[in-house]
Amino acid sequence: MNFLCYLDRGCVVRIWTQHPACVKLMTDMAVQLPLSDTKTSPAKDVEQPRASIRLAYKHPLAIRWMHWVNFPVLFIMIWSGLLIYWNDSDNAHQYAHQVYRVGIGRFTLFRFFPPWFYDKLHVPNHVTQGLSYHFLFFWVFAINGLLYVAFTAFSGEWRFLLPQRQSLKDAIQVILVDLHVCKELPAQTKYNGAQRIAYTSVLVMGAGMLLTGLAIYKPTQAHWLTTLCGGYELARWLHFWITISFLGFFLLHVGQVVLAGWNNFRSMVSGYEIQRAEAPSLEKERESWR
Amino acid sequence: MSDEAQLLPPEAESAAEPVTAAPALEQTPAEESPSETSVEDALLRSHMLAHETADATVLSQSRKHTRRSFVVAGVGVAGSYGFYKYLHRSGNEQEMLPPLLRKSYEFNASVARNVLDTHALAPTYPLSRAENLRVNGRCGLNKELVMDSYRMQLVGMANDERHPRYVNDVTAWEYKYKADESSGGTGHDSKTDPSTSSTAKTAPQEAIEDAQKDENRTGRRPRGMEEAGESASTLEPNTPGLLLTIPDITSKLKRYELVTQFKCIEGWSQIVHWAGYRMADFLEQYPPKTIDGKEPKYVYAETPDGDFYNGYDMYIMRHPQTLLVTEMMGAPLTQYHGAPLRLHLPTRYGYKQIKRIGLICYTNDKPDDYWTRLGYDWFGGL
Repeated sequence: MNFLCYLDRGCVVRIWTQHPACVKLMTDMAVQLPLSDTKTSPAKDVEQPRASIRLAYKHPLAIRWMHWVNFPVLFIMIWSGLLIYWNDSDNAHQYAHQVYRVGIGRFTLFRFFPPWFYDKLHVPNHVTQGLSYHFLFFWVFAINGLLYVAFTAFSGEWRFLLPQRQSLKDAIQVILVDLHVCKELPAQTKYNGAQRIAYTSVLVMGAGMLLTGLAIYKPTQAHWLTTLCGGYELARWLHFWITISFLGFFLLHVGQVVLAGWNNFRSMVSGYEIQRAEAPSLEKERESWR
Repeated sequence: MSDEAQLLPPEAESAAEPVTAAPALEQTPAEESPSETSVEDALLRSHMLAHETADATVLSQSRKHTRRSFVVAGVGVAGSYGFYKYLHRSGNEQEMLPPLLRKSYEFNASVARNVLDTHALAPTYPLSRAENLRVNGRCGLNKELVMDSYRMQLVGMANDERHPRYVNDVTAWEYKYKADESSGGTGHDSKTDPSTSSTAKTAPQEAIEDAQKDENRTGRRPRGMEEAGESASTLEPNTPGLLLTIPDITSKLKRYELVTQFKCIEGWSQIVHWAGYRMADFLEQYPPKTIDGKEPKYVYAETPDGDFYNGYDMYIMRHPQTLLVTEMMGAPLTQYHGAPLRLHLPTRYGYKQIKRIGLICYTNDKPDDYWTRLGYDWFGGL
């Protein structure tokens, strides 16, 4: 940074703030420059006054933990669910119900999943394992999810997460950019419109998983919930198709993370993302909520 | 801030600009004059250098954070792998499930017993939606029972020694069977692939050999010949109790009908029309003997051959929808559906709904259960 300074008798000096001579001059004259806002900026952002980049605190510790706890837990839930699901296909001679069938009328396109799929994955005959893991780890999934909702609600992070009025429009634009149709990404804070919609949907899906799961698990003791889901069979159908949606989200999410690159991925581990110095500060926005 | 030096506001700066530019009236900007270039170059270079140093500081801080958090992540991954190993560590051979998973089943059961509503009724359906239940396994029903030889062994009833049906050893009762295979067909058994001769699973070879030795010694058919083997709760010889006929059981009880959904742990379900007698009423007629001044906590049931067995909480036996079934879909039970008497509980999975009840025993010891031995949840509550 440089600026002009006029001294006595109309003498004008250009001051380079980084030049040693100028620094000495400024120190001598006790010039305070409005450069370093370290005092006003929150402690979590790591800023170097003269740097062109800074470390932006993107993901709070709690969110990172919950995110990564969910990764193996969701894997266990989906895998054990598959072991449970296979059991129903045991009766190869008589499809007892149509829950996992995809087709119209009498025409069946396919059923989840073809026999080779199960054989290759060595799924058969592990239903007891599937059931026991499913009914242990759903607690972890539920508690983790509830903690996430509570944390997001109380910390104010929901402001980054929930879709806003313009999110749908933004999301369409983001998709167009991803498809190389247009170039300019819409303005965003932590998440863009597409992310807001996707991450909120996945939260709703998680809640749907727990509710349909409970409706299947306790169709007598929680019969009101089962009825609300449209009955036992429909609850099973919903539970299965939300799982498929989860898998869809997972593929999209991992794909996008790969495309977004290391800086973004690392921020979900360390919390910090390297940002251009002039980029809007998330921490300042967080400050503004308090 | 000191008054000696003033930072110029933007207007002042632009106003001051002509002063420096004044000596060179040509369009040449002030910076390009030779005398200034060297100074400004030096300034610029030091300026850039300062920027680079600052950026490098940011990057090194980033690396510090990254290192630290990846170490924590590594510890987390190692920890969860350790937990996985611990969880997977094979438990008691008999129990098949690792202990922690078994415990989690018990925890879930206690939540279902103590937090959720144990009096909740399962939904019922219009009769028009009911259909014939499929036969899904013939465990404990491999031979056709001669109905005249049917007796229900009842153990643990209060003052049973005064009952006319009291005997000193209920286990001595001999059930008679017509043939090895049912003469009435398999009863649309969907478990067996018609293209293969059999998918039947049997008890471990060792157990079969031991049982054979016993049979040779005692001259009686061995018990527990199915996959899970013999029940740990099966009666000892010389156990006293009642031997009840079907009229003994049903003649004084009120008949109920119920259209409920039968749910299998395999994932399928069917709406079925049942008729029979409330287990709660049976418990009134044949009340359990108190143990230490309290009602026993469990009920144990077995098929006549002892191949299949279930254990229940006493409270669920008193649930109004727990039926001793004699008829299904408006007709008497067939052999493969558990004639002459089976249990239906819409509050439990099908694997807890024993067919062809040969024994009912009131007990305070948590009873053994066929499918629990094969790794399923003992509770099985819906």
